[in-house]
Amino acid sequence: MSDWQNSPPADDWTIDELMIARLAACFADGDQACNGMASFVPVSAFWLARLTHAPHLVWLAGAVGLEPRPDRVPASTLEAPLWRDSIMYVEQFGDFWNFALNGRWLTKFCVGAAQLDRYGNGNNSVIGADYHNPRVRLPGTAGLGDMGSIGKALYYWNPNHNPRSLVERVDFISCAGYLGGGSERADAGLDGGPELVITNLCVLDFHPETRHMRVASLHPGVTFEQVQEATGFELPAPEGKLPTTPVPTSEQVRLIRDVIDPDNMRRREFGR
Amino acid sequence: MSAEKQTTLSEAAALVRDGDTVAIQNMATQAAPMALVRELIRQGRKELGVVCLVGGIPVDWLAAAGAMNRLIGAAVSMEQFGLCQRYRKAVEAGAIRVEELSETALNARLGAGARNLPFLPTRGLIGTDLIDVNDNLVMLDDPFGGPSVVACKALVPDVALVHAHKADRFGNIGCEPTALWPDLGIMPKAATTVIVTAEEIVDSEVLRANPDRTVLPGFMVDAVVEVPYGAHPTSFFPRYGYDTAVHLEWVGAARDDEAVAAFMEKYVTGPADHNAYLETVGGAERQAALEAWEQT
Repeated sequence: MSDWQNSPPADDWTIDELMIARLAACFADGDQACNGMASFVPVSAFWLARLTHAPHLVWLAGAVGLEPRPDRVPASTLEAPLWRDSIMYVEQFGDFWNFALNGRWLTKFCVGAAQLDRYGNGNNSVIGADYHNPRVRLPGTAGLGDMGSIGKALYYWNPNHNPRSLVERVDFISCAGYLGGGSERADAGLDGGPELVITNLCVLDFHPETRHMRVASLHPGVTFEQVQEATGFELPAPEGKLPTTPVPTSEQVRLIRDVIDPDNMRRREFGR
Repeated sequence: MSAEKQTTLSEAAALVRDGDTVAIQNMATQAAPMALVRELIRQGRKELGVVCLVGGIPVDWLAAAGAMNRLIGAAVSMEQFGLCQRYRKAVEAGAIRVEELSETALNARLGAGARNLPFLPTRGLIGTDLIDVNDNLVMLDDPFGGPSVVACKALVPDVALVHAHKADRFGNIGCEPTALWPDLGIMPKAATTVIVTAEEIVDSEVLRANPDRTVLPGFMVDAVVEVPYGAHPTSFFPRYGYDTAVHLEWVGAARDDEAVAAFMEKYVTGPADHNAYLETVGGAERQAALEAWEQT
């Protein structure tokens, strides 16, 4: 066990490491976590949590391999090198969804979406007004269309905060957030919902009544005006000074760079 | 004694007719029955509907060949190699119609098909726009008074194509320790016709030694073909990893019509048979490298 508790803030952290450390803090000892495709930030965050504050965080790699022991983050987060040395292979259509649909387990889920709107609805389906004649065909909802509707707490990560990815209204809802805001999600009979959005500029959460996305903390050196400039909808003006997102400790940075992801796979998600 | 099911790739692929709905085993860069997919393209199959969980390069090749006009699935992506550009272009041009389902909705449609039910429900998708654009999904009141669910209409694919580690000549299918995708869990059980390619055809005694590893019974299988490296260039663990070079060459070609035609000629329609294909992609030396995936 590393001496992560007494480690000082890093002085050479990079934005990928800050996002990973912030997302890791969302997962507690005893939680269960799973990852999907191209999920280098969540995978690194689960692993970091397991090496520091949450050694008993259960990780279901690729929704397939239980408690794996990969030797580093590989080029794919949905291939066998990630779930090397697992204690159990979980059959996708039977057991994985039996675990996920049961409300007791896998209560938190990390979502990456091409578009995310002010009420936390995600879109990975189509860009354009007509679903059957899209301007751009996106990959598809995969598990998001389930995870948004079955009571999970959703944690969005977005390494490329810009007005195209954070929009006023998604063109198409393929992951249910707070729908039209207010009580609409609860009125539709849905529990859970979006908790946080962690981007390369800031952390956002949702107003408990309006369900409008708002800035919760700014990353060091970033201003509210910069975040507003990069966002496709009007953010509520902050009441007083916004907190600064904590930077990763030097031990967290060491673990990410030397133990978890020495090949820098996590950086593939940035700069798109 | 059961009937013998062993046949050739070309005879097995001939069981698929133009217009069929074909369920294809695949998870992004994993486990697709690629030799069968190439054979369907070589035989000039048209207007296929493809059912997949997460379709990767087989969907892009079928789209490039003009062999499909509809897709039922949860996603289409080659993960680290990006979106399937020929599929995407065909969808944006209106040449492929997409029925996009969440994973539980696809599972429910196939599960209802397998069990001869009109539908099965899911709690996924509620609140999304995917229900409104799909006649096979209908909100349904819980007859027992609980919250509403989404009824997912039964789906019975005409054919399921799967790739496996081992089979005997009677079509009993055995797998080695690996992650199991829905392909084996539900697709063959829902489909009318099941075609299996296997890395090796073994004596039934080999399967009898580990009956817990037999995942499909021979009575359910219509044709079985021995095709070593039958999932290449996708991975087939624990035997071999995905072929990065072939995926990258495809990605490099996929945005350009002439490059696509040259690629398809080189890898899909050109090679005389599966062995010729394996030589084209690098033969024994390449295979040894892909088998060493645990060292990468």
